[in-house]
Amino acid sequence: MSPYIEAGYAVVLATLGVYAASLASRERSARRRLGTKASPPAARPAQLERQLLDGAGDGAPGADDLEAGA
Amino acid sequence: MLRDAALVAGKDLRIELRSRVALNQVVPFAAAVVLLFGLALGPDRSVLAPAAAGLFWIAVLLSALLATQRSFAVESADGARDGLRLSGLDPAGIFLGKVGAVVAELLVLEVLLAFGVAVLYGAHLAGALVLLGSCLAASIGLGAVGIVYGAVASGLRVRETLLPLLILPVAAPVLLGATKAWDEALRGTPSHALGWLSLLAVFAVVYVAIGVVAFGPLLEDA
Amino acid sequence: MPSLRSRLVTLVGWLALVGVIATVWLGLFVTPDAVGFPDGLVRLLYVHPPMAWVAFVAYGMAFLSSLLYLWPRTRDMRFDRLAGASAEVGVVFTGLTLVTGSLWGRPTWGVWWTWDPLLTTTALLFVLYLGYLALRRVPGDPEAVAGRSAIAALIAFVDVPVVYFSVSWWRSLHQAPTVDFTGRHLYVHGSMAWTMLLGFVSFTLAYAWMTARRYRLASLAVQQEDEGLAHAIAERRAEGRVLV
Repeated sequence: MSPYIEAGYAVVLATLGVYAASLASRERSARRRLGTKASPPAARPAQLERQLLDGAGDGAPGADDLEAGA
Repeated sequence: MLRDAALVAGKDLRIELRSRVALNQVVPFAAAVVLLFGLALGPDRSVLAPAAAGLFWIAVLLSALLATQRSFAVESADGARDGLRLSGLDPAGIFLGKVGAVVAELLVLEVLLAFGVAVLYGAHLAGALVLLGSCLAASIGLGAVGIVYGAVASGLRVRETLLPLLILPVAAPVLLGATKAWDEALRGTPSHALGWLSLLAVFAVVYVAIGVVAFGPLLEDA
Repeated sequence: MPSLRSRLVTLVGWLALVGVIATVWLGLFVTPDAVGFPDGLVRLLYVHPPMAWVAFVAYGMAFLSSLLYLWPRTRDMRFDRLAGASAEVGVVFTGLTLVTGSLWGRPTWGVWWTWDPLLTTTALLFVLYLGYLALRRVPGDPEAVAGRSAIAALIAFVDVPVVYFSVSWWRSLHQAPTVDFTGRHLYVHGSMAWTMLLGFVSFTLAYAWMTARRYRLASLAVQQEDEGLAHAIAERRAEGRVLV
């Protein structure tokens, strides 16, 4: 078999493999960042609002609430 | 729409006449490019003369990049873009006006460059009608692509590096068509250039049409 | 609990993986050598045309979704993300088209590159869409980014036939087109035809999977940005409250 064929198959498989792996790993890290920072996104602003409103009465520092809630 | 176009074109050309940026920077730049091609290919006229058409159009293409950059640099200072947006002028008119101004500048540049090429490369300028026709059609095409992409990239901080990357591959058919048309004319067979001229015309019409439609949204978005 | 859509994407991914492995196995070891191709070079035909096909599909998809984005009634950021995802995958496959084509050309014609209309158009496309991706990567207001990217995609796609036409015309003055895959296909039959078909299908599935994953990545990035914003707003509010 000609080396050109092997090279062709190798390039195709390697490139697609690397690209697929990079997609998967980027997605994983994006999810990790989202996961550590927050609960489900849609609920979040409303939830914060509620927390802050509740926290206002007893004078608890809002920023701490935030950290705990996250 | 055409009245608006004339207004904008007049404004841009007046700015160029007063500031002389095109005259003092773009024309010398094109001259430098033509000289450097001569150095790169050597002093042999038998090499330079057949390549004259291609080198000429590469020089025009590079200068067209500068001209379109300049066309939007003019609008970026002092909130001129907002002024243009709020002026109530038809966006299609603004587009046509800016293209018209760039085309006028390019045509002047092409005439000057053509003499430069004739003198430096020993190209024999023949078939004036084909030469002028391809200059006109190619300039309109280049101007239209340049202004659309200029609007796409205007206001971006990376404009200077991004714009050439966007424009050059799209302008490839213009380079090809104009070079072949000039080749035929210089070789003394101008009738063979008609196909290339119509290619240039089609390109110009298509991109002017896209620009007329797309310029409004682009102006609003940016 | 994964959604139906993400399960479908996973299924497509596995099918693509199995299909690609089968194509490689069939292409390299099972199918016979074809007459008229030196050194079994016909085996490159199981990967090269599918690459070109997928690139074309990807750019077509990017063009369609850009159109849908520009059309006021169907304007949706999802189309913008789809266009970006599809174009990125398209660029990967265009690069592979060029490399495999070059590897085919060297032993067949003796040169790595020839100014054939198909090759030249593909190379210009590659640069054209690299520019498009570069434009997309410039940060800005999401709507503005989407708008200008959609218009750039439109211009790029319209340029394809013009480039192809002009280059083939340019070349036809010098010599007949060098690549004639359609003529060759006539001699392809049996296991070779099946392998080729499998190649087309499985690389197209691979494209679908990659585009879906790239799209999801873009959605995650948007989500993250929104959340960062919500977080920052909440923090500022909290600060205000402490002061009060």
